[in-house]
Amino acid sequence: MTGLFTSEWAEQVRAAVDQGPAEDVRAGKLPSYWQWIENVRAVYSSSWALGVRDLAGAGPHYLRLGWKDGICAEASITGPDDPLQATYVLAADLATWRDLLGGEDPGRIVMYRRLRLEEGDVVRFFRGIYFFVESIAVIGRVPARLP
Amino acid sequence: MFPGKGVRPMAEMSREKIAAVEESALDQIHDIDIDDVIDYVHKDLKRLPGYMDLYRRYLRQRWDVYDLDFAQDARDWTERMTQEERDAFVAISSGFHHGERQVEVELPVFMLGGSEESRIYMSSQIEDEARHTVFFDRFYREVVGLPGESVQEVLDASFEHVSETFVGPFGLLAYQADELRADPDDLAARVRYGTTYFLWIEGVLALSVMKITLSYCRDRGFLPGYYAGFTATCRDEARHVQFGMRFLREAVQSDPRLLSQIHETLRTILAINGATSRRVMLEALGWSAEEVRRLMIRQLTMKLTDVGIGLPPDLQRMIAGIQPELAGG
Repeated sequence: MTGLFTSEWAEQVRAAVDQGPAEDVRAGKLPSYWQWIENVRAVYSSSWALGVRDLAGAGPHYLRLGWKDGICAEASITGPDDPLQATYVLAADLATWRDLLGGEDPGRIVMYRRLRLEEGDVVRFFRGIYFFVESIAVIGRVPARLP
Repeated sequence: MFPGKGVRPMAEMSREKIAAVEESALDQIHDIDIDDVIDYVHKDLKRLPGYMDLYRRYLRQRWDVYDLDFAQDARDWTERMTQEERDAFVAISSGFHHGERQVEVELPVFMLGGSEESRIYMSSQIEDEARHTVFFDRFYREVVGLPGESVQEVLDASFEHVSETFVGPFGLLAYQADELRADPDDLAARVRYGTTYFLWIEGVLALSVMKITLSYCRDRGFLPGYYAGFTATCRDEARHVQFGMRFLREAVQSDPRLLSQIHETLRTILAINGATSRRVMLEALGWSAEEVRRLMIRQLTMKLTDVGIGLPPDLQRMIAGIQPELAGG
């Protein structure tokens, strides 16, 4: 199992979110919901920096995912001393990441503001909110070793 | 064409009806029709009351959530309602079980900005929302039978029923509250927040959920405790909506460029409105999808028209395309 916020984990996450949810996950929700997400994703070209505020004493770390026309084209890890640039920068504490990996509903993580938008236009970010939520759910299903 | 039950035409309220809605105590409120309370929400939108008038009204209309008796509701729930009715009811009401908690938590940052009159009024709305949270806590604990020692544990037990229809707007409000926290006097941020909260969540989602669940209770003669408490909640919503519409109208009058902030926020709300991952059988509560769709459009357009918020063509098309996905219907 790869460690959380390592380059290997970032690449596994990129591949997983690019592939999207598995069939058994899709089967549990209405086709119209997935169609809405597909419509958003088809033209999506923003980037997300998803961070942990303190990686067990190692400072803030971010997973940066870059989307280009609906394809998750790049993934990288940014440490505390690296420059960070993304359309939307979000961050949570390590407990939230632990809960996400433990199966917590990502919609609830958003609604309870446990993953905070630190940079980026709130109103525009939310136009793709369910695409984001389902992508976060996919990230939560990628096995990772917590520090 | 008969407009359907979701869109009863706004009639001039008689003095007697206004007095009944305004002055009924909690133990009298079961005699009031939810349509009259919704008319009461809208009757003052063209000449909106001042913030201190609304505060005085709050002092007269405040009710004690612990005076409600849910004993008959518990019997109705287990003995008279069908499984389909219980499922549909929970699917719709769970959004506001969490929603009331959410606005109670997100409102204090809005109170930090604005005039002193606005702040005094806002203190009353925060207390309203806390009381509404306790109302749903009692309903879910004593009637639905959800487990939990604390308010949070009961919320935890009902979250699985919360649909995207609520996750999106309430999530948006949470993030807008964060944005406002950076500068509570940022009028553009206040207008974006106010559009999500007062216009959509209070003015459309809340009133639609009230109309659907309270009509069901009244038509079937079920859940008298819920009917009394949520009708009193709807009367509270009249003050909330009227405050919010006054705030939006005054903001745009002070700086017409702020209209674009309302439009941009509405574009997001309407863009995410159609997405929901589960279907709820609204028919079990006596509603068709088309009736819910008309209800939501009507709730939104009445506020926009009465407050004088004009819309560009793209937003008019988006409103016409509102989906009846109040809870996956």
